[in-house]
Amino acid sequence: MKKSLMLWGLLLALSFFLVGGSQPVQASGTIKVGIVLPLTGKMAKFGEMEKQSFEMALAEINAAGGINGKKLELLIEDTTGRPEVGRSVAEKLITKDKVVMIGGGYSSSVTYAVAGVCQQNQVPFLVNTGSADKITSSGWDYIYRLNPPVSKYASAVESLLTEVIKPKTVAILHENSLFGSKGAKSFAKLCKKFGYQVVLNEGYENGGIDYKPVLIKVKQKNPDIIYMISYVMDASLLMKQAKELKLTPKMFIGGAAGFTMPEFRENAGKASEKVISATLWHQILPFPGAMDYYKKFKQRFHKDVDYHGAEAYSACYVIADVLKRTKSLKNTDIKAALAATDMMTVFGPVKFTTWGKLKNQNKANTYVVQWIDGKLELVWPAKLATKPLVYPVDWLQTWGY
Amino acid sequence: MKKGNLTVGIFALLLLLFPLVVRSSYYQHLLIIIFIWVIIGSSWNLLAGYAGQVSFGHAIFFGVGAYTAGILVTKLGVSAWWGMLLGGFIAMAVALFVGWVCFRLRGPYFALATLAGGEIFRLIAINWESLTEGMVGILIIPTFKSKLPYYYLSFGLAAACILAIHLIMRSKWGYYFVSIREDQDAAESMGINTNRYKNIALLVSAFFTGLAGAFYMNYMGFIDPDVVFSLHYISIMAILVGIVGGVATIMGPAVGAVVMVGLQETFRSSFFGLAPQWVSEGHAIVFGLLVIFVIMFMANGIVGDWNKISRLFWRRKAVRT
Amino acid sequence: MAVFIQTMVAGVLIGGVYSLIGIGMTLIMGVMGIINLAHGQLMMVSMYITYVLYHYLHLDPYVSLFIAMPALFFLGCLLQKYFLNPLIKVDSVLPENQVLMTVGIGIVLTEIARFIFTSDYKAVKTPYSSAAFFIGSISFSVPMCIAFLIALLFTAILFWFLLKTDLGRAIRATAQDKEAATLMGIDSEKITIITFGIGSALVASAGCLLMPIFYLFPDIGGPFTLKAFVITILGGLGSTVGAIVGGVVLGIAESLGATYIGMGYKEMVGFVIFVLVLVFLPGGLKRLTKI
Repeated sequence: MKKSLMLWGLLLALSFFLVGGSQPVQASGTIKVGIVLPLTGKMAKFGEMEKQSFEMALAEINAAGGINGKKLELLIEDTTGRPEVGRSVAEKLITKDKVVMIGGGYSSSVTYAVAGVCQQNQVPFLVNTGSADKITSSGWDYIYRLNPPVSKYASAVESLLTEVIKPKTVAILHENSLFGSKGAKSFAKLCKKFGYQVVLNEGYENGGIDYKPVLIKVKQKNPDIIYMISYVMDASLLMKQAKELKLTPKMFIGGAAGFTMPEFRENAGKASEKVISATLWHQILPFPGAMDYYKKFKQRFHKDVDYHGAEAYSACYVIADVLKRTKSLKNTDIKAALAATDMMTVFGPVKFTTWGKLKNQNKANTYVVQWIDGKLELVWPAKLATKPLVYPVDWLQTWGY
Repeated sequence: MKKGNLTVGIFALLLLLFPLVVRSSYYQHLLIIIFIWVIIGSSWNLLAGYAGQVSFGHAIFFGVGAYTAGILVTKLGVSAWWGMLLGGFIAMAVALFVGWVCFRLRGPYFALATLAGGEIFRLIAINWESLTEGMVGILIIPTFKSKLPYYYLSFGLAAACILAIHLIMRSKWGYYFVSIREDQDAAESMGINTNRYKNIALLVSAFFTGLAGAFYMNYMGFIDPDVVFSLHYISIMAILVGIVGGVATIMGPAVGAVVMVGLQETFRSSFFGLAPQWVSEGHAIVFGLLVIFVIMFMANGIVGDWNKISRLFWRRKAVRT
Repeated sequence: MAVFIQTMVAGVLIGGVYSLIGIGMTLIMGVMGIINLAHGQLMMVSMYITYVLYHYLHLDPYVSLFIAMPALFFLGCLLQKYFLNPLIKVDSVLPENQVLMTVGIGIVLTEIARFIFTSDYKAVKTPYSSAAFFIGSISFSVPMCIAFLIALLFTAILFWFLLKTDLGRAIRATAQDKEAATLMGIDSEKITIITFGIGSALVASAGCLLMPIFYLFPDIGGPFTLKAFVITILGGLGSTVGAIVGGVVLGIAESLGATYIGMGYKEMVGFVIFVLVLVFLPGGLKRLTKI
């Protein structure tokens, strides 16, 4: 009796769960787009930033008349950063909320899960942050990507190295994430191509306190350049501790946005001076609206925004543009409209093409920036530079020893 | 008892018919995830609830199972479905080693050792890139587009797991397990080879958890070390599923899986869009509060303290029984 | 040679902070026999207190010690009194319920922090944050050295407290044999509450000391909880001296591992030592030193 009662209770719970879920929610006059982002868990910081950017862009788009008179509605859902939850989110958005397309996608593992569902259900998915190459090289034709794949992040540094720095030896430090280890691998490949010797290539768990042991090892190998793929706080700690150890290569190069954030400057202080970094986006880039977006964001949320936010903000505009141009809200029409995208955003020009192994991939450029007198300046490619590259650098003097 | 069997039968039938009636792949997916957790939770329960060896490292077996299936594809080029055969056994082999190390310890020390073991496996999977692809992870293309094969397979596995544990607990082994939990020294003095039976419990537990891992790889199509060797989302979640449902009960972990997955999804989606958006922001905190609530007021879980709960809601019925 | 010495220096200095985290845990584990899975989250709370005091009142993190430690002492007492102690009376199949309660508490603390402060990184930037002095070619970080010295001071005070005061003796007695202590007229419930409070205050001090060199976000607690286990087992349950030595040993082992094996294996070194000690030296360093 006890057991059966329990089972019936279970059944009751389950049926509640189903009934509660089957409410029709299609409001007329709006176009629904699902956005999948991690809003809790370890990656929530970036999820929040992207969510705020999406919402900012959404408000602007709707204030300017929405999508041909209809309002755009974003269903922003939390993936918690776990693939199986991400999959639940995608299934729900597609089958229950009947969204016309999906955007977002932060970490690569969740992006894969969501992309798989979208491809199966033939719902267009515009990825704006997940950076694993495989996302657009698996032959999935409903998946479009705004951001470049991780293997292309360092391409701007390439010409800087061959034309200016010409190093002989290189040390690579990277965080142990897909972004970090893939980026390190493609940079090591690049070094091999130009005959630079990689004297050290090590990953670390992010969130460490003390990087001195590995920095001492780097110091002993005395490389010409140190290439680091780290997010902002690890980046500040690495530079501060390099300063404490008087580690002086020819150049410190950051391989990710960590080195370009104002937080990096704030936390690393003098140790950030003259450090250069590859970046996907920065507010000083000559794209229409980039600086405005940065200022608006800062004013509204009292914090700095990095390339994650810009990707989300632009993705929202791309989505709006696609929905304005599409013939109908049928998946094939939206897909065709996505494929025909050719527009300018704060993230730069967006156009989805097929190149190399990659399909429906936007060809975003990368740039090199340098901290000069406490301000971040665009130094490479030289023709866009806001200030000339400072090189060589006397580190000890810069650090005030 | 007869009536209980009937209810189980009806319930199983309903679950079998479910995907044919509810065609929404969203609900099918949720049930598949629940089935996976039923397997993990029940396996954990066999070792921890019945045999009293509280493991904080079930992610080891889940991850090993998942990686077995994944590596079969990336390294040997065979189908990940072979992982369903092999995953459980490789997890058992790993369990033998884990048991050899950890069963020297008791109580909280055992718990801590398994916890450390889980982290060691995660770090190995991250750093041994030539085998596991490191943080890049393993991506395979799932075999079936329809959810039905996955649904029935996971349902079958979950049912088999519960049935196996039910049978084990009715056999001689079951009594040995419980006697080890209640008093290991007394069990030893009664002539029970405690080490042997603890290992048996661990091996069975690891086998099913490994199967669940291999199934996860096949179903989700992507794994990386932080996903399948996660301390928080696999090892501790397994414990929570067991505790909330009810330790040392056959159906407890199943109930726990339904409640935990269902509750998270309900809150995450703000009661399926019925409640305001901010509700979804609180889903993690609700999760924590639920754990605190269950432990304080239903220490033996929903199934273990069912009498208590039914007294609250169905006063008359409970009196009759 | 310089590489080796620098590695050792880095290890010893960080070990001081590890010790503080470990002592709190070892006290709690020793007296109550439970694993506190919310230990790192308690440190996170103290770090947020430090951050708020710095951000709004411009208090130096070292001054915040005097506010964060009492605050966490009370928080710890409350948690023990209203959440953990009631569980002793509840009848359940597994004794591990208290441990799982700490998991729940940890989740709730983390989410409350996220609710108030969002998931953004927060940091306290002091003029001495990246200051360093040199002896020969070996670099010493100033805030690390201060943290190390304060950690030594606190452990000395705690040691004196445990050995010389009645309350301290009662705590030690309870840790050794709860039933005997109760028979001797010690209110063991009160002792557990105070112990959890002291443990929380100690980990709070570690949080304050880390603030000038480290940064903060809601999920920062987890890895430190794990470190605390390693130290506790390494040092031996309930042994304060053991925890100090254990903390420094862990710091050195991690540093050496990072330098000579690989940065990615740094964390693993700690866990491998942990399992080895559990298996081959149960009782930890306490067994060797007998303190």
